Amino acid sequence: MKIYKAGMVAALLALGLTACSPGSGTSATDATKAPDTVSTDVAKAGNVTLKLTDFWGGAEGEWIKQVVADFQKKYPNVTIQRTNEDWGQLNSTLNLQLQDDSGPDIATANNGWQSLGTLAKGGLVRNLDAYAKAYGWDKKVPTTIARQNQFSGDFKTMGTGSWFSTPMARTSLIGLYYNADKLKSLGLEPPKTLADLETAAAKAKAAGEIPFEYGSLDGSTTILLGTQAMLADKKKLNDYIYGDASIKAGDIGMTDAITLTKKWADAGYFPPKFEGIDYQTAVANYVGGKGVFRWEYTGSLGLDAAKQGKYGYLQLAQASGSGTVGVGAAPGAMVISSKSKNPDVAAAFLDFLMSPETGQLAADRGLVPALSPDVKVPATSLSLTDESKGAATLDSDDGYVPYFDWSSPTMLDTISQNLQLVYAGKMTPDKFTAAVDKDRDAFLAGQS
Amino acid sequence: MTATATGTPTPVSEPTTHQKSARPRRRNRWIGLGFAALPLAVYALVVLVPLAQSVQFSFYQWDGVSASTWAGLDNYKTFLTDPVLRSTFGHVLVLIGFFALLPIALGLLSAALLTRAKQPGMAVYRWIFFLPQVMTTVVIALVFKRIYAPDGPLNTALEAVGLGSFAKTWLGDFTWALPALGMIGTWVTFGFCMVLFISGTSAIAPELYEAARIDGAGPVKEFFAVTLPGLRGQMAVALTLTITAALRTFDLVWVTTHGGPGTSTLTPAVALYKAAFQNPQVGLAAAIGVVMAILCLIIAIVITRVSERD
Repeated sequence: MKIYKAGMVAALLALGLTACSPGSGTSATDATKAPDTVSTDVAKAGNVTLKLTDFWGGAEGEWIKQVVADFQKKYPNVTIQRTNEDWGQLNSTLNLQLQDDSGPDIATANNGWQSLGTLAKGGLVRNLDAYAKAYGWDKKVPTTIARQNQFSGDFKTMGTGSWFSTPMARTSLIGLYYNADKLKSLGLEPPKTLADLETAAAKAKAAGEIPFEYGSLDGSTTILLGTQAMLADKKKLNDYIYGDASIKAGDIGMTDAITLTKKWADAGYFPPKFEGIDYQTAVANYVGGKGVFRWEYTGSLGLDAAKQGKYGYLQLAQASGSGTVGVGAAPGAMVISSKSKNPDVAAAFLDFLMSPETGQLAADRGLVPALSPDVKVPATSLSLTDESKGAATLDSDDGYVPYFDWSSPTMLDTISQNLQLVYAGKMTPDKFTAAVDKDRDAFLAGQS
Repeated sequence: MTATATGTPTPVSEPTTHQKSARPRRRNRWIGLGFAALPLAVYALVVLVPLAQSVQFSFYQWDGVSASTWAGLDNYKTFLTDPVLRSTFGHVLVLIGFFALLPIALGLLSAALLTRAKQPGMAVYRWIFFLPQVMTTVVIALVFKRIYAPDGPLNTALEAVGLGSFAKTWLGDFTWALPALGMIGTWVTFGFCMVLFISGTSAIAPELYEAARIDGAGPVKEFFAVTLPGLRGQMAVALTLTITAALRTFDLVWVTTHGGPGTSTLTPAVALYKAAFQNPQVGLAAAIGVVMAILCLIIAIVITRVSERD
């Protein structure tokens, strides 16, 4: 019994040590309000060292290294110390790093409520409105991209209000890849519309090909979201994700998209036993030559130089015929820590990240450029040429919609899990749409 | 450590001294505590404080960054009433069958068979069966992901022997995904149980077996009358470790199915991880953790009590 008593005492003591409620130490500081005066003159800032933490490896890592080098060359008084962390690692620890006095000045966050919204609400990242005004970001950045970085003053709504992060001259889209050789041997042109795509898929199936290479084992949703972007009204879809409760999932093509996806599954347009194929295997199969089309995030196929000439990319037009809408966002939201002592210089770096120079640096490394209308892409790379074209179209049409899972922190789980239920015939498309609404409405109810 | 802390008297060392005063004993106790103070402080810092914090977090709605709001028992209520979260208990029960009961039954059987007749190369068998226990779960999960793949070795083997109709997308099938994951658990813990039981049987006095045989017991009766009662301690260890392993199942599910298809393989540990690190629901995650810790504790206590009862 003595041991139990000792344990109780220890537990009570420990409780006493942590008596105040969690999170009460980090009160919302002045950072959530925009400062009045800011300077865009980096050269006058004196010797400044900035810490940058990002989640970019591979070609993206090479890109940011070059961007940092070019910025330092432009402003010799600035030194940027870069730290690289794995995406998941940085996402789960960024809130702690930003509370540390010696934490990063600039970091890559993940858009949406899961990360950026939580950081902005907690006052860990700066309100960038004054810089947006000073650098003219509102004019430089398409509204549909700008909204992805904005939160209202009470932090209950995303997609409106103040800037808390910035995009960059790069983008990550969901679109349709095609195997150019296969299309040619089937005697088909790259489709331009959804109707074209359906015809092409039927022909491919009849010829014994797999129309869409895909696996749903780990709940891949690109096919659903890519399809939805073609079917939904751009404004409504944006508003839905940004929390306009008057719009329901049925209004934004969700039922149509899931019905179409299920139809393709039932028609045998996916590989046999696709429900047992995981994402990595599906990607490997597609790059290895299986399947004609694949819905995918840009830059995720890992195509080498030779393969880049063999795979094309399409941003299909809206089914309604009114322009092009695509799921896309910058591959990271650049934030400035509230604890940064040199926010002016940090903001200048963020502005530099949105410049056409950095867009060209991206294209040179095979990454999809954005905000850079005059970018030059190597002609031998069919995929990159197409991807850049897709991004340029979305830039000029202002046709971006955010990733659907930004609508609530649990949305990705909800659509992944229920998509698998629909494939197995255990859930109807109507119920799927209802589950999406239920998830988002529960989140909105908790926000207000 | 606790024995030192509570200062169990050690009169054995001083039978020659005739002093019966309490003074040296009390001094011993304080010295003992002094020695234990540093480890106790470290223990409090790295175990008790976070434990208490988790309990505290579980009563709040908290996103991990901004100010929290008092939620009372809401997080616990959510865990116990939300259909998806509640279903994780059912999944864990199935996993306990595969992680604990099946391996123990198989372990007993193989231990009984292996100890009856000494085979050459026994050590090699034991080593082979024990191997999964020392492998990292992530590696095992990746291997089995390949085995269970639609065109993987399992389906290929089934087709090769004419059982193609049994071939399935094991991990993508709503009915079969959980048992498929469970079988991995059986494979992992079986060798451990077997080795534990073999060493246990070798500690049973041979006279008991002789006595049983003289009384006319066959192999089956001998097993139930001698081997099984003699393995009570080992059974307790095996049950405690395997059941708590089943309750804590995370990496296996995370690497193979992420809880899918649908939520058919979601376990409390995966739900906890998602709540804590993917969705800003730290309070809910803490509540799940506290409930799981209490369950593990209860199971351990019950098993120990039952196994120590005469």
